[in-house]
Amino acid sequence: MLPFRRFERSTVLLVGLVMLSFLIATFDVRADGAGMGAMLRTGAQSLFAPVQQLATAVARPIAGFIDGVSNIAGLRDELAVARSENDALRQQLLDVQAMQNRLTELERILDLEPPTDVATVTARIASLAPSDFDQVRWIDRGIADGIAVGQAVIDEDGLVGRIDFVAENSARVRLITDPRSGVGVRDLGTNETGWIEGRGAGPLELKMFGTTKPVQQGERLVTDGTRFPPGIPVGVVAEPAEAVAGFALITTVTPSIQLAELDYVKVVVGWSPLDAVIDPDTGELVDVPLGPVTVE
Amino acid sequence: MSARPVALSILLVFVAVVIQTTLFGAGRIQPLGAAPMLVLAVVVACVRYLDPEPALLLGFTAGLLVDLLGGSPLGLWAMVHVVIAYLTLRLRHRADEAVPLVGFGIFLLALLAQALFLVTSTLFGQSLLTTSGLVKQLVITALYTVIAAAGVVPAVSRLLRDRSVRTWARR
Repeated sequence: MLPFRRFERSTVLLVGLVMLSFLIATFDVRADGAGMGAMLRTGAQSLFAPVQQLATAVARPIAGFIDGVSNIAGLRDELAVARSENDALRQQLLDVQAMQNRLTELERILDLEPPTDVATVTARIASLAPSDFDQVRWIDRGIADGIAVGQAVIDEDGLVGRIDFVAENSARVRLITDPRSGVGVRDLGTNETGWIEGRGAGPLELKMFGTTKPVQQGERLVTDGTRFPPGIPVGVVAEPAEAVAGFALITTVTPSIQLAELDYVKVVVGWSPLDAVIDPDTGELVDVPLGPVTVE
Repeated sequence: MSARPVALSILLVFVAVVIQTTLFGAGRIQPLGAAPMLVLAVVVACVRYLDPEPALLLGFTAGLLVDLLGGSPLGLWAMVHVVIAYLTLRLRHRADEAVPLVGFGIFLLALLAQALFLVTSTLFGQSLLTTSGLVKQLVITALYTVIAAAGVVPAVSRLLRDRSVRTWARR
């Protein structure tokens, strides 16, 4: 007779729980985060969100203190860099003001409506991901505030990510640094479009297909307007690259946002990809009813 | 076995999840781009004092909570935590050995947990293997988990030792 007792109860339970885990994961992936998974996540959020918000209020000063102590040595260097950047930015501001004046004049001549800003909802990062592999953040705004899946999340530096799950009073933001994130971008240097993917805590990866122009270090990349509102800064090319015939141009990009400094963000609720007008012949974005997003 | 150690363990896991999601991570405490796996450390510490079945269920619950509050498909961290709870059950009779050996064991468990998550998440279409500096992140996270466990294990022992009727030590 087969010694059934040879298999301990704990081993049988282990096999059962592992199988159950795989089953749950399969259902969740197939349902694309909806259905039972969404219900459980909403329940967990209702349970944890109030406690997390309370804990965050306590944790922020502690984390800030530790961060401040650990960064104190680098502050002097940072100050010097900031001062030189400040000088350069002051000059750029003067240039921009001059350009703004010219733009206003041209709009008046062409009888164009000035671009309007899109509606946004300000939110605060309520909690972080429980694992380093999850490049997500939870914000303290949800369905009740008009947040919906797919909306862009921005801060004063640029694109933070997109909403990929929403509960009544909270929502999950999948950051652009997540390997499962992808953003269509336009290189302001060459005007070519490409695709950016996250690579965790490291730099982003830019892929450009069918391009003939090389990209240079320091060129700015903004959203191309196909999935998110156009013109939101995404990053800066970190390494120059050019496409080898038949292959995509691939290089690294430094994200515009400072992940470690994320606190308040804005969710762009007043824009949908349907607002983008695509030329059916060229596939290019030819006109956008709403102007570039400006962050106050 | 009384229900108190189990209830206390569940409470500890809840507290660990809250601390993990509010204190550790980018923008809070994340030196060198990594944070300890506090929930895993608590599961390992609690499993020492629980019967096998509640220990495995505790691992499953803890993992499921991590799944629910994270961004990966449900069930992946649950599976990882169950396996780690099971391995801890198998190894807990050696928990009285030299501290460096126990620390090394927790380091290996943390590495295994991450590797297992990466493999299973890849099976479910998550492209996490492209994460830059992956090996460095795995090792640093495992090291931080050992450091976290150095604080968690004695605290959990103090809480659960007297409350558990049958402990690993008495077997």
